[in-house]
Amino acid sequence: MTKKVLLKYSAEKAKKPILALIIKETGTLMNILHAKFDAEGGEILLAIDAPDAEAKRAIELFEQNGIETKELKRAIQLDEEKCFDCGACLSLCPTGALRLTDDYSIELDEDKCIYCEICVPSCPVRALEISKF
Amino acid sequence: MNKSVAAINDRIKRGDAVVVTAEEMVEIVRERGEVEAAKEVDVVATGTFGAMCSSGAWLNFGHADPPIKMQRLWLNDVEAYSGVAAVDAYIGATQLSETRGFEYGGGHVIEDLVRGQEIEVKAIAYGTDCYPRKELETTVTKDDLNQAVLCNPRNAYQRYVAATNSRDETIYTYMGTLLPNYGNVTYSGSGALSPLHNDPNYETIGVGTRIFLGGAQGYIFWEGTQHAPTKAMGTIMTIGDLKEMDARYIRGATIEGYGTSLYVGLGIPIPIINERVAKTTGISDEEIRTNLTDYGVPRRERPILREVTYAELKSGRVEVGGKEIPVSPLSSLKQAREIAGTLKKWIEDKKFFLTQTVEGLSTDQVFQPMRQITAAPVAKDLMTREVVTAKPSDSITSAAKIFSKQNFDHLPIVDEKGKLVGIVTSWDIAVAVGTGKRRLSEILTSKVIVASENEPIDAIARKLETHGISGVPVVSTGGELRGILTSEDISKLIGRRRR
Repeated sequence: MTKKVLLKYSAEKAKKPILALIIKETGTLMNILHAKFDAEGGEILLAIDAPDAEAKRAIELFEQNGIETKELKRAIQLDEEKCFDCGACLSLCPTGALRLTDDYSIELDEDKCIYCEICVPSCPVRALEISKF
Repeated sequence: MNKSVAAINDRIKRGDAVVVTAEEMVEIVRERGEVEAAKEVDVVATGTFGAMCSSGAWLNFGHADPPIKMQRLWLNDVEAYSGVAAVDAYIGATQLSETRGFEYGGGHVIEDLVRGQEIEVKAIAYGTDCYPRKELETTVTKDDLNQAVLCNPRNAYQRYVAATNSRDETIYTYMGTLLPNYGNVTYSGSGALSPLHNDPNYETIGVGTRIFLGGAQGYIFWEGTQHAPTKAMGTIMTIGDLKEMDARYIRGATIEGYGTSLYVGLGIPIPIINERVAKTTGISDEEIRTNLTDYGVPRRERPILREVTYAELKSGRVEVGGKEIPVSPLSSLKQAREIAGTLKKWIEDKKFFLTQTVEGLSTDQVFQPMRQITAAPVAKDLMTREVVTAKPSDSITSAAKIFSKQNFDHLPIVDEKGKLVGIVTSWDIAVAVGTGKRRLSEILTSKVIVASENEPIDAIARKLETHGISGVPVVSTGGELRGILTSEDISKLIGRRRR
């Protein structure tokens, strides 16, 4: 199961190659889903594809290096009560996180979502929501 | 072999009518042929659930005391048309809320009415001896209304074009969000389940046909506006009791950057009266074609890229220029199927009987463009043709001199062949001072927003507004600079129009 972790960097910490060091040290596969930095520091949204213990160890290392971490449980929601499977979102999704099943239902695979948010305003009944954290 | 509608209704009453959905009929006709299918099947149930902007509802509020002749009327801040007697009004699906904009419109008011929610009513009037009241505020639910009738001028397009976008920017259309450079394709319509595509010759569909409308039983009462049967773009006018409808099949919607609409669930039962009708109801997604159209061109006649079938569209990928492009259906295929299934069940359960049409619908009506008494101006009518230009190799100093002598802010940069390669503004020159840069090639902006010679001024004005710019170079299809058009040129035109 992919863990999604939000790393918060101070301006000072942002200068050091902490992510690279931790990948090197642990050998754990990590994928940057989203990153944003400015003069005051920034954040990286990370997908860690590893067994629980290994992922936990990587998160600890970030904390030890002075990076604030937060594990994300649900970041995008598809409200199935509101959604009527029109599919307006489908062709806008760059990763295939939103897909059409054989019975023409819309299915959301959260693991694939990169929070680009293109789908959100395209939904005619506002059934897609990204939670801010 | 011929069957009458009355005979089919008798079979429904006896409980031995054979009813299938349009998807099931495709298989039956494919396997057994239309002759056998006509003998075997009595009714084919169709369905669609798409955004139908040309929808609305007639409402009657009853009289207030003292009475008012509502001159203007708002329902949850969405204006309804009340220029029909005193307390009748028509709420249209695409009318926007005056306070919430695109987030709420007439379509949402209609859905809220169906859900039984309270609607805020505000009205103003000029006052007469018989209707002295000038202002009114109240709340109503559908139960407080004498009539609430869904009455849609144009529903259930037989099929519709598929859309894509050639521009290098995302555009927001009634066909949904279209990504740049043919980044996606959108389409609407349920293909093999499409009500009108199952009887494109209007042998069984006509004035008086009873249909599934928004979860209730409604009727077709005329051909729809813009009905174009010869182009496989037939439409119908529909009517039904809003009070009996189900919000599962009547949904207000916001289409990003376009406005509001109403998703309408609609299904037509096709009585299999002969083999011809059996054959048309057997039509498959592979046989239904439509045009993939470039919505990047903001003209009435949009370029057609190629023909696509509904089978391709429903597969989720369409090939454009050697690339596989992802596709969005905009109508719900799942609910289209559900509606056909529900209609089938109603008939099997003897809750729904077929009607004999009172009049046929036109089979040769054409959809004409608007008569315009003045031609809309295009870029080449207004642009300045004598444009001072520079070459990429020219010095920044020479460009500074040009700006100091002339009264303009944009200097187009062209190559030896006259092709536009970039633009330099007086601001770019100011910024370059003291940076040690010498040539225009070092400071020019190569990604220039341009207009084509035949682009309508209205489209260019929108471009200037969206990008916050004050002018655009006008280029030929080959990219050669032909002129420049500024917001000033457009203001002058508007000044002339006002006079």
